[in-house]
Amino acid sequence: MSPTTQAAIRDTDAPLLQLTDVTTHFRTPRGLVRAVDGVSFTLERGKSLGIVGESGSGKTILSRSIMGLLPTHGTVRSGSIKYAGREIGNLGRKEMRSVWGREMAMIFQDPMTSLNPLMKIGDQIAEPLRIHLKMNKVDAWATARKLLQDVRIPEPDRRLHQYPHELSGGMRQRVMIAIAMACGPTALFADEPTTALDVTVQAQILDLLGEQRRERNMSIVLVTHDLGVVAGHTDEIAVMYGGKLVEKASTRRLFAAMKMPYTEALLASIPKMSDASHTRLAVIPGRPPDLVNPPKGCRFAARCPYAQEKCIAEEPPLTVTADDPDHSYACWFPVGSPEYHEARARLSDKKNTVEAA
Amino acid sequence: MSDTTTPRRSLRQRLHLPRLGVLFGLVWLGSLTILTVLANHVPAAVPFIRYYDSKVKVDGKVKKYGFGPGLDAWFGTGKSAEDIFARCIYGAKLTLLIGIGATIIGLVVGALIGVLSGYFRGWTDRVAGIATDSLMSIPPLLLSLVLVLRLDDLKEQYSWMGWISRPWQLSLTLGLVSVAPFARIVRAQTMVLREREFVTAARSLGASRSRIIARELLPNLIPAMVTVAFTGLGILIAAEAGLAFLGMGVEEPHTWGKMIDIARDDIEKAWWATAFPCLMLFLTVLSFNLLGDELARRFDIREAAV
Amino acid sequence: MAGSGTAHLRTEGDVLLRVENLLVEFPVGKTGLKVNAVSGISFDVLRGETLGLVGESGCGKSTTGRAVMQLRRPEGGSVVFEGKELTAMKAEDMSEARTRMQMIFQDPISSLNPRRKVRDIVMEPLNIWKRGSATDRSTKVDSLLEEVGIDPARAAESQPHQFSGGQCQRISIARSLVLDPTLIICDEPVSALDVSVQAQVLNLLEDLKAKHGLTMIFIAHDLAVVKNISDRIAVMYLGKMCEVAPSDALYTSPAHHYTAVLLNSIPVPDPEIAITKVAIEGEPPSPVLPPAGCRFNPRCPAADDRCRSEEPQLREVGAGHFVACHHPLVGGEAPVSVRTGD
Repeated sequence: MSPTTQAAIRDTDAPLLQLTDVTTHFRTPRGLVRAVDGVSFTLERGKSLGIVGESGSGKTILSRSIMGLLPTHGTVRSGSIKYAGREIGNLGRKEMRSVWGREMAMIFQDPMTSLNPLMKIGDQIAEPLRIHLKMNKVDAWATARKLLQDVRIPEPDRRLHQYPHELSGGMRQRVMIAIAMACGPTALFADEPTTALDVTVQAQILDLLGEQRRERNMSIVLVTHDLGVVAGHTDEIAVMYGGKLVEKASTRRLFAAMKMPYTEALLASIPKMSDASHTRLAVIPGRPPDLVNPPKGCRFAARCPYAQEKCIAEEPPLTVTADDPDHSYACWFPVGSPEYHEARARLSDKKNTVEAA
Repeated sequence: MSDTTTPRRSLRQRLHLPRLGVLFGLVWLGSLTILTVLANHVPAAVPFIRYYDSKVKVDGKVKKYGFGPGLDAWFGTGKSAEDIFARCIYGAKLTLLIGIGATIIGLVVGALIGVLSGYFRGWTDRVAGIATDSLMSIPPLLLSLVLVLRLDDLKEQYSWMGWISRPWQLSLTLGLVSVAPFARIVRAQTMVLREREFVTAARSLGASRSRIIARELLPNLIPAMVTVAFTGLGILIAAEAGLAFLGMGVEEPHTWGKMIDIARDDIEKAWWATAFPCLMLFLTVLSFNLLGDELARRFDIREAAV
Repeated sequence: MAGSGTAHLRTEGDVLLRVENLLVEFPVGKTGLKVNAVSGISFDVLRGETLGLVGESGCGKSTTGRAVMQLRRPEGGSVVFEGKELTAMKAEDMSEARTRMQMIFQDPISSLNPRRKVRDIVMEPLNIWKRGSATDRSTKVDSLLEEVGIDPARAAESQPHQFSGGQCQRISIARSLVLDPTLIICDEPVSALDVSVQAQVLNLLEDLKAKHGLTMIFIAHDLAVVKNISDRIAVMYLGKMCEVAPSDALYTSPAHHYTAVLLNSIPVPDPEIAITKVAIEGEPPSPVLPPAGCRFNPRCPAADDRCRSEEPQLREVGAGHFVACHHPLVGGEAPVSVRTGD
């Protein structure tokens, strides 16, 4: 990418990331797996978006689709992905290489396998600096040292000369963040970055990511299954289920006024510290939908306690709420609608009669 | 709008046939086995395979190396005007049997050593390790020659060893030579498996060690063993051909190695007498390797899914 | 080095398991150094109780579970189960004792033999111990499979990889119940599962515990999960016991500074509760060279010289609430101990 195009990317007012009807399917022996099916959203510069979902929801595939990190064989993609106004969805590997590292960076769940076990930490951080920013080795290592300080690794001089196996899991994840930050990207994709870490280390890493975001005015896309993590560290949340985006809102709004029964059910099934001991957890019955033959209507209908016939027959479109243009959801009878209350009443009646019996 | 798709699935994929290599391997080995079995036991079913000793005649004339490959003799004729094609088929029988015998011996003994040393570690492992390492440091060719000749001598000394015919000698020798590699592979797999939680679970349920080895470890070792057996078969068949070439092989019927040996002096006059047995050997070893690869692929995928 | 003390062990009540001064050390190669995985912890479990054992990686909780099961013989300490000392038992007696204490492991799929049919896997313990006739065994296995929500017919034909993670864990649970044990030790049983599946398995464990009259030890790093299922929680750090308390009390009034740190670090699914400051910096030191005195002292905001030299013992600071700290958040300062050193 030429320097002028790069400058253009950094100055433009267009939203940093704009997805329109992004679809990713995989050809497998079993059939076409519709991992991501028509997802659209925008992300502004400097904001953080949490993509929440369980395994099979398509959240990881979505972030890799945006990054362009999908296997070439057997993948069917469509839809538009615009990065700072520029279409990147159809770029080949070669063109994407100039985007990776410089504009978009990614950190993964398992830092042990994401770091090269045979390369010193210093070399690994210096690598993007030397390739993308054309630094010489001395400058690159000096920058690497500063980056280690930024990510709050003590004794950076010693660590630069160590190998990944000599570092703990939390430290390795910090190194990964340092590598990702090396060229000052405008967007960072974090795919379950703290799932494998202890809870105290998780808090440190999330805090670090937030700090880096503010300092660099960088956007973060945080992919996770943990609603607690997104509650404290994101501006907006997108909930995915069965390959579709089912709800998107600002974080505060989502927790205060969620519309999707799935979001509600997910929240109810998590054990919380504020609950008393032996609180019965509300379980979502059944299993996620088969992505090869997804149901015709709403993909959550089979497990939704409030599902009606319309839900099974027709797929609900993404609707914007009347009072908040940033809050969209895909449900025929969302939380708060009259049908929802009726269904709830019926359910609790049933529960009472069962208990009474 | 961008739309990147991959090419439509090929005809082969749509018919759910396996890869080309596997297909070839199966077809080759299958046909070879069928032909050799029929030729030896139901000759009437395969009239196109002449008898072992029959001479190829055209116009009543019998000539050594009379014909090149052609309609009368598909692979040409050999030194005693025998049909090379027929000889190749007959030769396959013992080659395959010796190879299979050696593989079985090597695998059974090797797996036993491998499982025990991999599971128990400690002294068992060290002793077994020394034994297998020593075995592996002796050049296999040298070892095979020495053993075959030694068995010859022993047979003369002890009449009770008379049952050890040449094919058995070769099987035992080649089997012994292959014990060490098999043992190492099985040992490595065992060491990985014993750390898996289902083995700990079995221990916590009170299963005895022998039960764990038999019911938990062995069923999980079989895929690796089968894969290695196929590739090993290829190697052992080539080894048998090598020994036959050097004169250590079976006397009658000639296996491919011996056929190559006999014809090599006349290679300029009658290239077909050497080339075709070589081709048979090559294609057979290749088939076993291809099948071994496919098995490895399948079992790996299964393991990955698990 | 002395353990954390035994003040919290109960003398009344039906004590099913009593562990005293458990010591587990791993040698580090040939250097002569040791990994002090578990350094003298004690705890007990009453019949019908669920004890939660919580801590971060390296605290020794999983090692404790395995040492109790004698899957790894501890280097020291005593484990008394149903009145019998397990550490002194010979292999055959231990094997027999194992039928009454079972374990559920973290990785649901790898804890089942991938080459066998699921129903056979669940049947296996009955075959090992030759319990009952063939029909008895069949009935028992089928009824347990149904209890955990697995179709017995499908189990008879399918192998573990054909089931989901949650289902595999349920199969594991069924297998552990087939010998009618009294104690179940769960080692991170839901950590590898999806959020909604976690809830199913936790509810199932509660139901089965009630139905079969089980006693449970639940080992996990997720404090919210542990609180949900346990009556009593023990917090471990770097091989030592920090605090033992009833679940609700641990949450409402944590006494140990480490417990407070853990509680503050848990991400809460409520954006209104702002996270103002990261609860703690750095990471636990290596268990090969643990700090002297209280092992948490390098990272503790309230550490002083006494903490750096004298190891705190567990003492009562509330009803059934014990903490090993010289300056706990609840309850007064620790009295000066009479003993010197050791």
